[in-house]
Amino acid sequence: MNEWLVFLLLFLAPVISSVPIVLAYKSEKWTAKLPPLSVFGIFVSVVMSLYILLVLPEDQQYSYAWIPEFGINFVFMCDYLSRYMGVITAVIAFFIAVYGLDYMKGDYRPSWYWFFYNLFTASMLVVVYSDNLFLLFVGWEGLGAASWGLIGHWFRDDDDITYVGREGRKAGPLVLHWPPSFGGWRAISTIRFGDVPMFLAIAAIWALSPTLNISEIEWGSLFGTIGAAGTIILLLCLLMGLFTKSAQVPFSEWLMTAMTGPTTVSALLHSATMVAAGAFVFIKLTWYIEPWTLHGVHGLEYVYLLVLFVGLLSGLYGALAGSGMLERKVLLAASTMSSIGLMFASAAASFWVGHLAVLVAFWYMAVHAFAKASLFLVSGHLIHATHSRFLCGGLEFGKKMITPFIVTIVATTFLVGIPPLTAYWVKSGMDEVMEHLFHEVGFLPLILLVLTSVVYAGIMAKFLSLNFIKGEKPHHEHTEGGGLMKLGYVLMVSVLFVLIYLIFTSEETAEFVHAGYAPVSFAVGFAVLIAYVVALSKPRISALTKLGTFFNDRMYLPVVNDYIMPKIGFFVSHLVQDYGNRGIDGFFNTKVIPGLFGGISRGIRTIQTGYLTRYINIVLGLVMFILIVVVVGGWWL
Amino acid sequence: MMDLSLLMMILGALLILVLCSVLSFKYRDLGFYGAIVAIILGSSAITLSAPHLIYYTAFVFAIGIINLASLKVIKSVIQGVDYGLVGLMVLVTLYIFTTQNLAMILAAFVLVSVPTYILVMVREGGANVEVGIKYITFMVLATVLFLIGAITLAYTKNAFNGLLYLLGYMMLVLGLSIEVGVAPLHEWVPDVFTSADPIPMSIIASLAKIVPFIVALRILISTSNSLTVSITLFTAVLAAISMFTGNIGALTSKEHARILAYSTVANMGYVLACVVVIIQPEYFYFALTGALLMLFANAMGKIGFFTAIKSGGAFSPTMYLLAFSFIGLPPLMGFWGKLFILFSLVKAEYIWLVALMVLNSAISIPYYLRLARELGVGWKANLTNFICIAVVIITLITFLPDWFFRGMEVIAQALRIAI
Repeated sequence: MNEWLVFLLLFLAPVISSVPIVLAYKSEKWTAKLPPLSVFGIFVSVVMSLYILLVLPEDQQYSYAWIPEFGINFVFMCDYLSRYMGVITAVIAFFIAVYGLDYMKGDYRPSWYWFFYNLFTASMLVVVYSDNLFLLFVGWEGLGAASWGLIGHWFRDDDDITYVGREGRKAGPLVLHWPPSFGGWRAISTIRFGDVPMFLAIAAIWALSPTLNISEIEWGSLFGTIGAAGTIILLLCLLMGLFTKSAQVPFSEWLMTAMTGPTTVSALLHSATMVAAGAFVFIKLTWYIEPWTLHGVHGLEYVYLLVLFVGLLSGLYGALAGSGMLERKVLLAASTMSSIGLMFASAAASFWVGHLAVLVAFWYMAVHAFAKASLFLVSGHLIHATHSRFLCGGLEFGKKMITPFIVTIVATTFLVGIPPLTAYWVKSGMDEVMEHLFHEVGFLPLILLVLTSVVYAGIMAKFLSLNFIKGEKPHHEHTEGGGLMKLGYVLMVSVLFVLIYLIFTSEETAEFVHAGYAPVSFAVGFAVLIAYVVALSKPRISALTKLGTFFNDRMYLPVVNDYIMPKIGFFVSHLVQDYGNRGIDGFFNTKVIPGLFGGISRGIRTIQTGYLTRYINIVLGLVMFILIVVVVGGWWL
Repeated sequence: MMDLSLLMMILGALLILVLCSVLSFKYRDLGFYGAIVAIILGSSAITLSAPHLIYYTAFVFAIGIINLASLKVIKSVIQGVDYGLVGLMVLVTLYIFTTQNLAMILAAFVLVSVPTYILVMVREGGANVEVGIKYITFMVLATVLFLIGAITLAYTKNAFNGLLYLLGYMMLVLGLSIEVGVAPLHEWVPDVFTSADPIPMSIIASLAKIVPFIVALRILISTSNSLTVSITLFTAVLAAISMFTGNIGALTSKEHARILAYSTVANMGYVLACVVVIIQPEYFYFALTGALLMLFANAMGKIGFFTAIKSGGAFSPTMYLLAFSFIGLPPLMGFWGKLFILFSLVKAEYIWLVALMVLNSAISIPYYLRLARELGVGWKANLTNFICIAVVIITLITFLPDWFFRGMEVIAQALRIAI
């Protein structure tokens, strides 16, 4: 098969297959029938991504001219990262889509949902495979637009089950209860805040480097040209896009209120797209920048140090916030933020540790993607079954919902790093990486990592316990049906077994297995196990209720999004309204510009009398005048 | 040998044109078919002898055919001769890149100009003499200035004289400005555009604008020297004045034909800006690409809009697409024209002109949209709508203009003429 056809199908099949349902948006009959077609489009992407992984050669670049003079082309790179990440993205999107056939049945705007869902998938695939930064940015913006559409999908804000936060809950000036439309807005406004500097950074790279292809840019000499300050500014601008997209502190709030979207969206958003996109792009850039070979470049170390600590702090913050949460999806959201933080941190550690750290980050992303998507899908099913978005369900309920119960056990234990389950080996690699930082950075990274891992294990166990073992009895139980939903998350969680097989058989991950036998890793794994067991038996500690509420309120970080930023906005708008408006209005709307236009327009009109003699006078006069000026001027020259 | 056969084929085409025009007094349709055969013959001759010109030839061919088709809409008093005139203009426009001879190039300039003297007077059941007088007066002035300027420039190439060069440059640019309607020498444009019949106007506003620019560019490039850098500022100012005059004039006009008249003034300003890039020869092919795409986009839009005016409206989506092309929305042809012009201006370090051009594109948005809204009607299967659909398709052909751009790179290298 031709490569260009593979790429065309990979990216366009999801989009094109969702066009019919958009066109049929007025017909309830057709919109009920067409979703399988959209799912089929994603299936085509799965096949194509598998084809790329299994048939096409590794490290091969495919370039198709668009505007080569400007260095803007369709360039796709099938390297180690993108080949696997592409399959992960497509497969997860496909499983979730299958689940969505059941979950979204009877929704009030299926056309909107399926179009943006498929666009979301296609955009992420563009981000994953593109080697050209400009093309990557196209996919990146597609992610932003689709996430806005999906998070605010239930735009009518008419059902509390779609909200985030508890109704009526307030803390000072903050109202801690967010509707879907607000969630969509918070997402897009936060992301834009980072996208603009990122775009400027790409523009700067375009100006400084002969190519925009990530794999071909001479990063070392690029950084050399712009010096330490330039390097720091450039990378910070780029990182603004990545941090906002990946919801790292202090830009994490949008992710929490993104839980107002349908659960399928949360699942995709948290596993293989959107938040993962930021971390993935950082991993990919680091893969090609190879910062461990650039220790001579001034400024680079500071940037990587910043990412390391932003990642670790986000990890700890997310885990702690999650420990106080009682909403199913928001708890998982906080844990995702924590995991993404760890990905950033270990990828950043590559500056000192080398290639291994990037691999660790990538593999953790893969394991996390499948486990977290499974958990989200389970919680979506639970929300349907109990008609509550809060954690609830005892052992009796658990016995009725045996499939999701088992899936949750597998997904949580495999994700937190209990030996010898999947994530343990990857986490061991991460422990080793952080331990290696001792000489340059000290023990702090390792301490933060261990703390995060322990709290993280606790919140996962809490999720399991409060949903199936020790939670309150749900007010409403609807445990029958949901066949496609079950199929979706069973398929999803079973990939974790494939991953453990891959970890043991693949060459690249041999070091993880080796690290898994180290005493330090084993000690951390044991601590994680203890935390898991303790939290399982005691998911809520009444003595810590106040602390829990503080964590549940995300340590009042919403104050940035909902109080400080609006205050700044209102201040500016008041400034404009009270002082600037008259001037601006006068300049643009009433006096200067309209006057200028009116004047010029009158001038243009008065010339046009219709009399030839007048025209001739004007033109000849002008020509003569100009020629005389030229003659005089030319003489003088 | 090749040149000789090319010349023979062109001459053959001319012969067919003349014969058919004469015979068309008796059989009107013969003029139409004769013109088509002549254009096909001319296009194949050019393509055979200069394959790299294929895209340019194809575009000119398409414009010519559409112009001929649109003439079918009216019944003029000069029967089939009008087809012959358009055919002549197309042949000359096709031929202009293939010769290196100054005399031939200047003859081409005149040959594209003169048929419009007659075309402008064409209307149903009579002749528009008043418009004709106004138009011809200006054209004669323009032609005289242009020719004297061109000859003076050619003279200074061999016997350099700074003053003469400046005078020649000025006369050429001023002649060009009057010819195509660059402000502040545009006085004839609004009057003629509004009082002449829309169909011949669509030809004058499309086909007739291409050759003058190419001729001027070729002469200016061939004669450029160290003085060009300083005199270029004059052209840039002229271009800026034309953009503003055109756009503000159009913005504050109500009559459709008048809006199109001022839009032409603005567009000619954009194209004139390309002349500035002569000072950066290595980037000139960007400017040439931009100028030609702009001229083609302008031609397509003008044909569509004028035909719509004649028939009291055309299919709404086509009107909007043409408006978007004029405004410069990607991926329509107008966008690429502006993009390449802007890019070449950046390379020529005329940043202020870039800023003004972008500003002017913004000013133009309201009136193009208004035009599209007022001229847009429902679908009807008639000639007007087919013409509009044809021009829209051509406007969309440059979705990815890489191929066109590559062709221009080759053409730009052979732009200089033997003096």
